[in-house]
Amino acid sequence: MTATIKSNLPVFVVIMPLFVAFVLPTFARRIRLVEGLVTATTALGFLGAGYLASLILIQNGNPINYSLGGWSAPWGIEIQVSNLSCFFLLMVAGVSLPIALFAADNMTHEVGGPQQTTRFYALYLLLGGALAGMAVTSDLFNVFVLVEVATLSCCGLVSSSNHPWASEAAFNYLILATLGSALILGGIGFLYIITGHLNMEFASHELNRVWQGYPHVVWIAASFLLVGFGVKSALFPLHVWLPDAHSAAPSPASAILSGLAVKGYAICLIKVLYNVFGIALIQDFGIHRILTLLGMIAIIAGSVFALTQDKLKRRLAFSTVAQVGYIFLGLGLANSQSLTGMLFHMASHAVIKSGLFLAAGAIIATTGKNRISEMAGVGRKMPITMAVFTICSVSLVGIPLFSGFVGKWHLLLGSLEAGNRLAQAVIIVGSVLCAAYLFPIIRVAYFEPTPVADCRDPGLPQMIALIMLAAWVIILGVVPGPFLELAKRAAIDLLVMK
Amino acid sequence: MTDLVLALASGAAGGILIALMPRAGDRLRNIVALIFSAAGTLFSWRVAGAVFAGRTIRISGEIAGLAWSLHPDPLGAVFGLIVSTLWLFAGVYSFGYMAEEQKQRTYYTYFLLAFSVTLGVAFSGNLLALYLFYELLTFATYPLVIHERNSEAMKAGSKYIIYSLSGAGAILIAIIIVYSWTGNLDFTGGPLLADCGLRPGLGWVLALFVAGFGVKAAIMPLHRWLPAAMCAPTPVSALLHAVAVVYSGVYGIVRVVYSVFGHELAGQLHLSHILPWVAAFTILVGVIIATQQDVLKRRLAYHTVSQLSYILLGAFTLHPWGLAGAICHMISYSTLKVTLFFGAGIIAKGTGKVRVSEMSGVGWQLPRTMAAFGIASLGMIGMLPLNTFWSKYYLMRGSVAMGKWQLALVLIASGLINAFCFIPTVVAAFAEKGEQPVLEKGSAMGLMLAPTLLLAGIALLIGLWPGLVWPGVDAVVNWFF
Repeated sequence: MTATIKSNLPVFVVIMPLFVAFVLPTFARRIRLVEGLVTATTALGFLGAGYLASLILIQNGNPINYSLGGWSAPWGIEIQVSNLSCFFLLMVAGVSLPIALFAADNMTHEVGGPQQTTRFYALYLLLGGALAGMAVTSDLFNVFVLVEVATLSCCGLVSSSNHPWASEAAFNYLILATLGSALILGGIGFLYIITGHLNMEFASHELNRVWQGYPHVVWIAASFLLVGFGVKSALFPLHVWLPDAHSAAPSPASAILSGLAVKGYAICLIKVLYNVFGIALIQDFGIHRILTLLGMIAIIAGSVFALTQDKLKRRLAFSTVAQVGYIFLGLGLANSQSLTGMLFHMASHAVIKSGLFLAAGAIIATTGKNRISEMAGVGRKMPITMAVFTICSVSLVGIPLFSGFVGKWHLLLGSLEAGNRLAQAVIIVGSVLCAAYLFPIIRVAYFEPTPVADCRDPGLPQMIALIMLAAWVIILGVVPGPFLELAKRAAIDLLVMK
Repeated sequence: MTDLVLALASGAAGGILIALMPRAGDRLRNIVALIFSAAGTLFSWRVAGAVFAGRTIRISGEIAGLAWSLHPDPLGAVFGLIVSTLWLFAGVYSFGYMAEEQKQRTYYTYFLLAFSVTLGVAFSGNLLALYLFYELLTFATYPLVIHERNSEAMKAGSKYIIYSLSGAGAILIAIIIVYSWTGNLDFTGGPLLADCGLRPGLGWVLALFVAGFGVKAAIMPLHRWLPAAMCAPTPVSALLHAVAVVYSGVYGIVRVVYSVFGHELAGQLHLSHILPWVAAFTILVGVIIATQQDVLKRRLAYHTVSQLSYILLGAFTLHPWGLAGAICHMISYSTLKVTLFFGAGIIAKGTGKVRVSEMSGVGWQLPRTMAAFGIASLGMIGMLPLNTFWSKYYLMRGSVAMGKWQLALVLIASGLINAFCFIPTVVAAFAEKGEQPVLEKGSAMGLMLAPTLLLAGIALLIGLWPGLVWPGVDAVVNWFF
């Protein structure tokens, strides 16, 4: 039994949450059981991801190839667990576990009765499964399928909130995301037309052999994919759906949407760009310059928009737009340091933003106030929640000892290596702006004189979730050890042509 | 090594302890604060003693794969001595000054935390540790700046954070460039960039470092946060905005020039001919603006801006005499400026007067305070019985030895303007003898007066017997030359 599970683990981590998601509605009447199942599934996913990561680390990054149904590539569908996959799997599992814990006590309050809660959890697990799938897949069509699954469950998660404006936000999101999906499908189609393969490795091989014959098709495919994934991962100026969607969703959903879902599409883009097109082609076509430029614009614009928001969750949502900019900037600088920094920043932002959204959710749920200007005195009434919020904010600004610093350090080294002075300046200005939009919240919560009416820290499971995320932030900032090693190896993998 | 850990831990432990005692009375809290500041002072003295005795104290480790180390050298030891000694004085003064204020728990918590962080800046042995403590200092002192919680304080606090973080950003870029050149951030084993030689971009790195640390060192035009931050309680203005925080910027610049670049490499850069003039500009403009201010604390703030550049001027001469002058001035100026601020605080508490134009006759109400204030004012001119005479002497000698005798003229001119800055106030304070009663009574007043008088006495003592601080200055100069 264990041997079967071990050898099939690469597919197990994807299938398990999907399977549980479909079983879940049958237990809708017993909400405690549903919550327990979800927590157990995410915990198991965490163990599986940890096991796979340790396996890969021991193998010095030799990928594990798994052929679905025993059909080997290029005929069958292949799953590949590489450094990058393990990195992303760990990130997904490490963040979705505390979010599931947090949701356990909170959901009925935010979405309504047990029926709706179960639906929320089913969507939550579907999204988790899709993200795990994005981590391990090495098949272009599977990428599209997983992107669709993720998109639809994201829309469902946004609309599950019982606020009246949630369905409007979800509808906007659906329209734009569907457009994005169509573009992605088109891009994949064009690639298939030229190469005749859907397996990434084979497609990449073929593409690099024949692309000179079809430069325009390659251009179209690249631009379709860039815009498609750009819409989904909220790259400025394609971010317009994000602030509404992420602020209208229930807080645990905001956390997973901002923390993980956006990153999932980014990982798909990374795979398509670096594993299919390859670094040489990216540089020939100058795609990396576009990515760098868009990234820099996103950092500045997202931060400036965040500054002007008074609603707490909207400010955090715009902050995500800015942080996505860092990911694209690192992607565009295209050297091992910048890619390491980009991956690490992705993970640290996933943890940080989940922590921020969950803390914000706890504050909004207990005080009923969602504007920053009304939060005076929250720091004294909810010390642990606000402490977690503070740790996450300081980390996002990039102070040493916290995870944000490690990512930014490598990004800065990367921009130095690329000889891009402007990028350095933008990274620093982004940090200062980040302080400018996050610290006022902390100041109001701790140092404004009028205390809010009676409110307390949330219950134990939610506290554990918050403390867990804060602990991740500090562990990643002080002793990232194997995790940073995975990011470094993944970055080198991306730059090596196969 | 235990001394180093205990010196750094005392303040933090005291701060956390006070934060955890929400119901404690003022007296108990003051006793805890006193014990922990005294412990921090004692242990940093022991660390400094060991450093001057030539022993190596080093603690190192890794954060996320990057090495950090604490490794005080003579410069760090001198900075640590100044800071820890004055912290004790400011602590005692606070007991008097803050007696009737609100939010004392927050105040003492961050007052003690900032102590630890400042010592961390002093004792850091590589750029990462220096950067970390320099950043933390901003956050540890922010609650002290906004102590009054009114809109003016909040604005000042935001200004302080934004200025400091932007400066830290510039420093981070410079650190990254140094790291990419050397793969190392440790500056205790000789100048870090000594082996790099003259290479393109070196001047930019120095400029980034100077601009970054220059924010806290209040080099014009990066000084705007400092006058705004004067809305903090007086002990904070005295200790942090005249000494600890601003000195961390000055210290950073001296550190970068002598430990990262080394005086030989720095001397080969074109920038090193410009920087003394930047300092000279700040010296003159700062003190001229100071004479225009009517609010006493703002006048003192602009005066701080001017005086900090004396130290920088000395460091930028890249000459042993100049550096000796800079270190001397670090010691001398801090005692005098804290005396001036303490005096201003006593005047404000005793009579409620904060403007220079209202000061006439104050001297008869607060005779001992104004006497100390007068002594410190004389010191700011650089008169002989006071300690600043010696620092100015070495600063001028350094400027001349460097071949820039014009800088010596700037120092003389600044001394004259300094006379206009404070002496008329002191004269006016003793001008008309009215029938006002003497206000220097009561335990709170006593707690404020004692450190003020003691510091004025120390300034006089160093002035009469400069051999008292000379071994420290000598050790720093020998360390770098």
